[in-house]
Amino acid sequence: MTRRGPRGTRQAVAVLAVALFAACQQELPTAQDPDLVPIDVTTVEVRLSFSEFAEAARVFEGYGRASELGSAFVANQFGGDLDAATLLRFGNYPSVAQVLDTTGTTRPDSALTFLSGRIVVRLDTLSSIHSGPVQFTAHALSEQWDGVTATWTSAIDSVGVNVPWSTPGGGALTPVATGTWDPAQGDSVELVVDSAQVAAWGDGLDLTRGVRISSEDPGTRLKVNSALFWLETLPSINPDTLIEVLANNEAFTFIYDPRPPVAADELRIGGTPAWRSVLDLDIPEILNGPVDLCAEVACPVTLSEDVISFAALRLTSRATPASFMPSDTLSLDLRSVLAPDLLPKSPLGPTVVGLVGEILVPELFGPQAGTVIEIPVTGLIRDIVRGETVTGEAMTNSIALLSLFEPLSLQFVSFDGAGAPAEPELRLILTFSNGIGG
Amino acid sequence: MTLRPVWSCLPGILGFAFAALPTPLAGQSFVGVGAFGLPIEPLDARSLAVGNLGIGLRGLELSATDPTAGAWVPAPTVGASMQPTWGDFTLGSDTGTSNWTRFPLIALAYPVISLGGTVTLSLGEALEQRWVAEIESVNDLGGVGVPSTDRFESEGGSSVARIGWIHRIGTSVAVGVQGGSYVGRLDQSFTRTLDSLAVGGNIQPFVAGGAWRYGGKTLSLGVSGQPTELIHVAGSVEWSTDLEATPQNETEGDVRKFGVPMKLSVGATGTLTPRIHLNASLRMQDWSGVDGLLRTETSDQSLSYGIGVEWRAIERDTRSIPLRFGYRSVATPYKVDAENLTESAVTMGLGFNLLEAQGVRLGWLDVAVEKGSRTSLSLDESFWRATFTLGISGF
Repeated sequence: MTRRGPRGTRQAVAVLAVALFAACQQELPTAQDPDLVPIDVTTVEVRLSFSEFAEAARVFEGYGRASELGSAFVANQFGGDLDAATLLRFGNYPSVAQVLDTTGTTRPDSALTFLSGRIVVRLDTLSSIHSGPVQFTAHALSEQWDGVTATWTSAIDSVGVNVPWSTPGGGALTPVATGTWDPAQGDSVELVVDSAQVAAWGDGLDLTRGVRISSEDPGTRLKVNSALFWLETLPSINPDTLIEVLANNEAFTFIYDPRPPVAADELRIGGTPAWRSVLDLDIPEILNGPVDLCAEVACPVTLSEDVISFAALRLTSRATPASFMPSDTLSLDLRSVLAPDLLPKSPLGPTVVGLVGEILVPELFGPQAGTVIEIPVTGLIRDIVRGETVTGEAMTNSIALLSLFEPLSLQFVSFDGAGAPAEPELRLILTFSNGIGG
Repeated sequence: MTLRPVWSCLPGILGFAFAALPTPLAGQSFVGVGAFGLPIEPLDARSLAVGNLGIGLRGLELSATDPTAGAWVPAPTVGASMQPTWGDFTLGSDTGTSNWTRFPLIALAYPVISLGGTVTLSLGEALEQRWVAEIESVNDLGGVGVPSTDRFESEGGSSVARIGWIHRIGTSVAVGVQGGSYVGRLDQSFTRTLDSLAVGGNIQPFVAGGAWRYGGKTLSLGVSGQPTELIHVAGSVEWSTDLEATPQNETEGDVRKFGVPMKLSVGATGTLTPRIHLNASLRMQDWSGVDGLLRTETSDQSLSYGIGVEWRAIERDTRSIPLRFGYRSVATPYKVDAENLTESAVTMGLGFNLLEAQGVRLGWLDVAVEKGSRTSLSLDESFWRATFTLGISGF
């Protein structure tokens, strides 16, 4: 027996290397012959009426406040009945300002004299509805009010405390300034306030201080992006010069009237405070119809999550009152209700319509009212049928329709609800098979 | 057509290198898709290269089909085979390609001198069911035509794990017995995916699947001998219980049983010159009466045969390189289009006998290349198949 020769080893290694390389590509034979498939599969579409897939529809309101919107509104008989006004409260006036003295040096000046002021109202021109220049009026408020909770009827509407205005819409008012916004000139209007009113608003302890900004022209609805109070100031360091300093906003909100009631056969989302619509589902475990289904498969059939290839909620849009007609797109969100017993304060599950929601264009709730909007909810319906999420968390049978953010806008949108001519439908695409025979 | 990433074969490569893993169950044919798949010859590269059916090849150290192979190995011997295959097919109007690597045989022979015999162990492929059907269609859903893609994937097969004993009688006769057990698994899945654009998004594919575990027993008896110094003959008979496919997990349905008929095999090797050997082998297995084949008609033919030549082209004191040629015709259990289906192949190969002593191989690498086909009216499969066998004796 002798040592193995190096040439033989090299040959063997080379052959083995080729073999291993050849083994690295794998590809299954793939044919397109239906006869090869040992399973019968049928896919059918089923539409369940509201009574077939749901028990009830409920609308809840009160989510969010006008002061949380980040913008405000001014309206005058818009759509025939909508009045809205923006309320502002300024904080303490600045006590120190950086002033350029006569030598050209910037120094702090704490002995300021406030002469007059101007409220600069900046509008969202794209979301505002008007027919031309608009006359604005600023009124001084005279009653204590809460910048967070004030409504058209209540100066304070907090938990356990409700103080109505003496007159709905802001109580007793004193006109302090007017101004005209010309859309052709820009997006802002100035309301000049005299020195007496500036001095009156200078008391930071006065809880009645505030200004109400409204429109004098009927048929207008204007969205206010911001309202700033600039104070004309005489510094002590350089008395020959006037400077402007900004008074901080302590409150920026709006009040409006009326707040339209919800019809019994209506689903509503959006608005400020926002409405949510909740559907209590009762998805059948067994399907014994409709006729189209039973014509394709042997009824009754079990509706399990495995057979649900697609599910979508079909809603029919309803015309929104003109005064609350959307002027921009609205994003609809749909989530599961985690604790229906706690409604309207139940926590909600994660969104099932994506980060941007289901985009609804305003025309759907005006000229195109009656359009069917289909919201894919396949994963949600499969979870409900399964009784838990894919990660094992318990599911309830209630789902909530809401705007992507609350509040998102003064405007709201509506759909036909239970009992309406076009009730919600559940569209299902189901796939059934007889199982793989092996 | 399914492409697997390169790294996916790493476990297979390691399995080959260490020759310790069970034989992966692999296949690539549409033969037997409605039954239990395509029978596989669990042979080493030397047997394949000379067209042998795994019986009667002189000096064969390891085999899953010859109960007396390895009777005369002087030391513990182990070998493993790897078999990459490249194929193309025509099925009706479909055409396509495939390639896959299987490990058809891992075997060990362990002489027990004190008892005058040898213990054998082997794991050899038996059946394979690895194929895909992908069908595109249009479904009428609510009056709208919605395109869909159906994909059916079959993956798995069975092997036979055998343990045997060879007893030497005198200096030229051996008898052997092997007991075997079917092992393996079949996974099949169906997926229907609807066109999300046509439906409206958020589609979940419909998935149905099933898994089965194979079971069953085999028993083989064999005898071999050398009537003269120039001739080696061997024969064997193998019985098998039904091959049972037992549903696993949540798979519905009963245990399915496929009848496996008795297999009779004979073979012989004749020495034409000291360096040229001729071998022939024959196998009878009548599938016509078996039960349990779904959607498939059994074949009338029962005879398989192979013939080949081995020429020790280069021979040194401790090394040699034999060249091998052959032809093999194997009857499959099925008819396709009412026509018996036969697999035939022209074979060739060579061996690198890296270390030999007194005519006994102690280390070798055999290579076989086959060009074969399976043809019927609607199914035409052809393939190039290479087999590499690495063997070591006296470890």
